[in-house]
Amino acid sequence: MLYKVIDKSTYQDFIKSLISDYALIGPKKKDKAIHDFVPIKDFSELDTDYKKTTLPPAKKVLFPPNEELVKYELGDSVAIEPVIEAEEKILFGINAWDINGMNFLDRIFKTDFVDENYMAKREKIIVIGMDSEPSETNFALSMNTEYAEEGFDLYMTELADKYFIRVATAKGNELLDKYTDAKEAGEGDFKEYDKYLDEYRKKFSTDVKMKNFYDNFESVYDKDEFWAKIAKNCYSCGSCNLVCPTCFCFNVKDDMALDLKNGKKTREWDSCMIADYGLVAGDHNFRPNKENRLKQRYRCKLKTFKEKFDTYSCVGCGRCIDTCLAKINIAEDIDSVKKEVSI
Amino acid sequence: MVMDLKQKNAGTSIYVPEIATITKIEQMSETEKLFEIKIDSDEARKEFDFLPGQFVELTVFGLGEAPFSIPSSPNNKESFQLCIRDAGNVSGALHRMQAGDRIGIRGPYGNGYFPFDRMRGKDVIIVAGGLGLAPVMSLIHTILENRENYKRLVIIYGSVDPANILFKEEIESWKKRDDIELRLTVDNSDGEWQGEVGVVTNLIPGINCGSDAYAVVCGPPVMYKFVVAEFEKKSIKPENIFLSLERRMECGVGKCNHCHVGNKLSCIDGPVFSLWEIRNLKEAI
Repeated sequence: MLYKVIDKSTYQDFIKSLISDYALIGPKKKDKAIHDFVPIKDFSELDTDYKKTTLPPAKKVLFPPNEELVKYELGDSVAIEPVIEAEEKILFGINAWDINGMNFLDRIFKTDFVDENYMAKREKIIVIGMDSEPSETNFALSMNTEYAEEGFDLYMTELADKYFIRVATAKGNELLDKYTDAKEAGEGDFKEYDKYLDEYRKKFSTDVKMKNFYDNFESVYDKDEFWAKIAKNCYSCGSCNLVCPTCFCFNVKDDMALDLKNGKKTREWDSCMIADYGLVAGDHNFRPNKENRLKQRYRCKLKTFKEKFDTYSCVGCGRCIDTCLAKINIAEDIDSVKKEVSI
Repeated sequence: MVMDLKQKNAGTSIYVPEIATITKIEQMSETEKLFEIKIDSDEARKEFDFLPGQFVELTVFGLGEAPFSIPSSPNNKESFQLCIRDAGNVSGALHRMQAGDRIGIRGPYGNGYFPFDRMRGKDVIIVAGGLGLAPVMSLIHTILENRENYKRLVIIYGSVDPANILFKEEIESWKKRDDIELRLTVDNSDGEWQGEVGVVTNLIPGINCGSDAYAVVCGPPVMYKFVVAEFEKKSIKPENIFLSLERRMECGVGKCNHCHVGNKLSCIDGPVFSLWEIRNLKEAI
């Protein structure tokens, strides 16, 4: 990691150069309340002053809702080939917890069997991170994701009259050298940055106590009444899965063109909250009711990957809380588990 | 049960199947057919080595993909078999196919297998229900090919009725051997049926086996709890009881998360698990 600074007055020119030389995806205000990561053609479209985007930016770019994986042509034999689409792009303005969400997806897709359909895209993307204001439902600080240690090329922190930039890759350094007169950060810069980080962390208002959850969860797992209360209003709609930066469940389907010769395999997002997710042959459903499904979602977010990757697969972004029509709140439910065990 | 996972090279996709040809189809029962499948490419066919309990993802082009355990012997290198019930989109389409038709095969997959290596020198009890005989067939083949390496071999197989008994040819040959204790049972007798009537669990108490025996169970989900309880009454250790867990798999390679059982994935952590491994996994059995 290199640490550099650029003068704030040069920021606009830097970004404008990036926009002119690269396909750049960044945050844009769509209407009064909504920001979304979209292709940016002009600097004026960019608005990094956002609290939350409905869809997590990295997932949107790297793991789209529908993605062609394989195509084939039927004939005397079958001609078959992978669809690996990767183009160099800059993902600009993504915040720390969304970078950490992306890091989780990276681990899923590169552990054991390497998913080239995902990884080819990932390797081509240039990530420039930037802090954003946490929303009221954000509990990233409790999940240790308010700061990103890796997964970016550059991470830019806005200080009084400069940007403090963490340079993680050669590619990131090359961009800075080419388009800015970045200087190495000095003692004073670090001091200012340290103060900034302390202040930034104070902005996270929602505190979730993950301590003891790992065991407490098992203690309450079979308490039907407890879960009935928590899942009471769930519509099994799957919105929580769609907006989650780490939810990665998908289906693979085959489709045939009208010529009945050309076909493709596509993956599309699936949702563990939908009733037929756990359905197997013989109409047996391993998670027939919404309580089972919500419990499994919490296990997956808060326990499963603690064992596999030593990390939660929840980054605390709060999107599922904001999106849930039934007002199911994972942060409150973690506290409810604690209360159920301790009193 | 950990072995090295095969990794594909960069530039390819783990979702690209090998092209294979159906070389033979045999009607096994009203709803099940046995398919013999040969992978087209010589190189890929040579690389296709599997262990008892592993499965493949089979593509019917234009329709979809589904996982199936391999019932044939791992020692047959030329082709392998799949026993498939006409139950869904992919299996239904397969049942309409003919010898010579082309399909796609990915795999073999699964890290958990039936530990035929650790079973050597021990009693082995295999309990299967219905189509659950298919995944354990490859273990039975493996044991029979090296019969002298194992002590007692007990096979308990339950079927809905006599007409639905699968692998009849193999079962007839087992009946003639004195080194297999075979117990067959059906839920509904057809009048001519000479054997037992009732559930497989009724047959377990009558078995003699050492407490260091290995036990295997595979069948419809409802069966597991009851069979496992009977094994435990026999003091068979939970680390020596093996179950093949069926879940809906989409990718087979640990990506789609569809087959999770608690914190495990049936595809890459299983599909064969020891009872010990899944003891505290809720909704496992």
